[in-house]
Amino acid sequence: MTDRMPLPGDLTRRRFLQGSTLAGTAAFLAACGTPPAGSGAASATAAASEAPSASASAAATPANSGDLRFANWIGYIDTADDGTYPTIQKFETESGIEVTYGDGEVDDNETFFTSDLQAPLDAGLPTEWDIVVVTDWMVGRLARLGWLETIDTAMTPNFVANLAENYKGRSFDPDTNLAAPWQSGMTGLGFDKNKTGDLDSLEVFFNDQFKGKLTYLSEMRDTVGLSAIRLGSDPANLTQEQFDAALAEVDKAIKAGVVRQVTGNSYVEDMAGGSVVLSMAWSGDVLSLLVPDQKADQDFQWALPKEGGMLWTDNMVIPKGSPNKAQAERWIDFYYEPTNAATIEAWVNYVCPVAGAKEVMVELDAEIANNPLIFPPEDWVARLRQFRTTTAEEETAWAEAFTKAMGL
Amino acid sequence: MRRALHLRAIAPYALLLPGLLWLVLFYVYPAFQMFLVSMWTGNLDAGFVQSWNWGIYPEAIAEYWPWLARSIVYGGLATILAFALGFPLAYAIAFRGGAYKNVLLFLVIAPFFTSFLLRTISWKIILADNGLLLGPLKDVGLLSEEFRLLATPAAVIAGITYNFLPFMTLPLYVALERMDKRLIEAAEDLYAGPWRPQGIIAGLVIGGVLGVVVGAVMGYGPVVVGIVGAVAGALVGTFLISQAFIRVTLPLALPGIFAGSLLTFIPAVGDFINAELLGNPQSLMIGNVIQARYLEVTDYPTASALSFVLMLAILIGLFFYARLLGTEELTGASV
Repeated sequence: MTDRMPLPGDLTRRRFLQGSTLAGTAAFLAACGTPPAGSGAASATAAASEAPSASASAAATPANSGDLRFANWIGYIDTADDGTYPTIQKFETESGIEVTYGDGEVDDNETFFTSDLQAPLDAGLPTEWDIVVVTDWMVGRLARLGWLETIDTAMTPNFVANLAENYKGRSFDPDTNLAAPWQSGMTGLGFDKNKTGDLDSLEVFFNDQFKGKLTYLSEMRDTVGLSAIRLGSDPANLTQEQFDAALAEVDKAIKAGVVRQVTGNSYVEDMAGGSVVLSMAWSGDVLSLLVPDQKADQDFQWALPKEGGMLWTDNMVIPKGSPNKAQAERWIDFYYEPTNAATIEAWVNYVCPVAGAKEVMVELDAEIANNPLIFPPEDWVARLRQFRTTTAEEETAWAEAFTKAMGL
Repeated sequence: MRRALHLRAIAPYALLLPGLLWLVLFYVYPAFQMFLVSMWTGNLDAGFVQSWNWGIYPEAIAEYWPWLARSIVYGGLATILAFALGFPLAYAIAFRGGAYKNVLLFLVIAPFFTSFLLRTISWKIILADNGLLLGPLKDVGLLSEEFRLLATPAAVIAGITYNFLPFMTLPLYVALERMDKRLIEAAEDLYAGPWRPQGIIAGLVIGGVLGVVVGAVMGYGPVVVGIVGAVAGALVGTFLISQAFIRVTLPLALPGIFAGSLLTFIPAVGDFINAELLGNPQSLMIGNVIQARYLEVTDYPTASALSFVLMLAILIGLFFYARLLGTEELTGASV
């Protein structure tokens, strides 16, 4: 999901400030009882998980040596105070595979595509990475271009068994063997309850009630997706007519000045400063960024609209020609052990795609396990929509139409 | 002896070499590459081919000239405002800084120790609708509840001005600092006095015109802003500008003005961070367009063509600007 800034650090990426605010966030989480990296609870899980992992990987003959080069977004894995990654270390010990972890190597889908993937893959050469984490639509693009390796699911029994149902057979990955979800997030209503009252409908994004005090997201799939949901369309099978209708509403609201700005996650600062009281917001932002910045008269909330909200996912994929495909599959299988996923989740706090992680988390930290922003309940899952994959023509045409509506 | 002479002859070229290599490697080559890309046709999936499609240039200009024009206006206004703020600042440090010169200079560049991005984001807090600046003004009823600075062209121009102010101030300081102050005394000995009435008229006209333009671009009533500008200009012209300043200080500061305004204007026109963070959909600049075309629409040719057009526009502007200020005076004054 993400975004568009090549420099100097990405502006619109939802995790953009997270690097600089990690310390503050960690302090906040600690205060709330969430164990940050390296805490006693996390290491307890590590110990508890050894038994199941040994039995789980006994099915095939997985890689037991070699290298794995893993490019991920910043702050997207449990990190100890000394900058090491406990879960990675556990994997290295368990598998004998040496991991090069690129923390923050991916800082934006488009930029990463341009800088690390396009040139080698276009020339039929391997990239510098064996696993990269990219958002749904980028998986769609890479799959369309034939630039992904297929995950050998015989080697990843945990992935097969523990991938949550709503992630199976997605439009860009019908056989569920190209992309292994890493973390998800939801897009819905972010608001300052003290100024807006309780909100539960997408209508407020399109009428004059909060004119000039609300923001849209610069992610086409979030903004147009929510607009489509409001019009009764399902983004999972959006037609051109439905896209046009949804975009027309967005365009109208922007032109009329209802929308103050179309932003990446800089809406967070505007909400903290009080200039913006309502935004199309990513669930993770409200959880990790807004709340610590809250002033006495502010009360930030994130709500899944009654009409529905967007679910987006960052996925692990194996770029074509990776020399360490077996090692990559071993890692994917490792991540899909609920204990490992839960350990990472306790630190990352997005939506976990691994079934069974919630049960582990109940033991680990009941507060996180019961947080709907991290483990959405059934009725939320039923209302969450995923944007469908696009053809090459649609990808360009829709991106172009959306940037025009954004004033570009 | 002959050998030594020979070395002395090639030494300047040898000294140029590292810089030249750097320039060729990191500027000329990428620029040439970008030029080639601008005349590609195709798309991401089918691939791009070098088609020498010159037509993309008129097409890109026809479609995006409003953003180009807006960028030049915003960049130009930010440069003028940076000059209006930077000149008195540099003057005060150079002439009245005394023992605190270095401390004051350090304060000018201190913002550079923070990232550009964070500095810009901090403006969101300062200019917030009910924040430090606007909150009290709204509380006492000077401004209406709906008034805002964020997400307006004013915030974008102010942000650019702030971010590039040191680039303007430092060259001005250097020019003023090395000026021989005795020249001013000499001018005064030769009966250089206050610059009236020319100062009043010039201040009135310059301040007024600038006020009208700023007001019009930012959308705050050109007449009111124009009158405020004219009054301020007249006051400055009456009390602060002397004949010695016009005849001695200003001409000697010209190289600094030239360097400072280029260092400010060129990056300001291409800036996209301020428009992205502080602007609204109606105040986006050409940098935002280039970025969106390149990264989001994967329309590499148009993005490259627009980058070239921008570069060319700046070069042409530069040429006329240099002619206007007079290259002879520039080089003459810098010796």
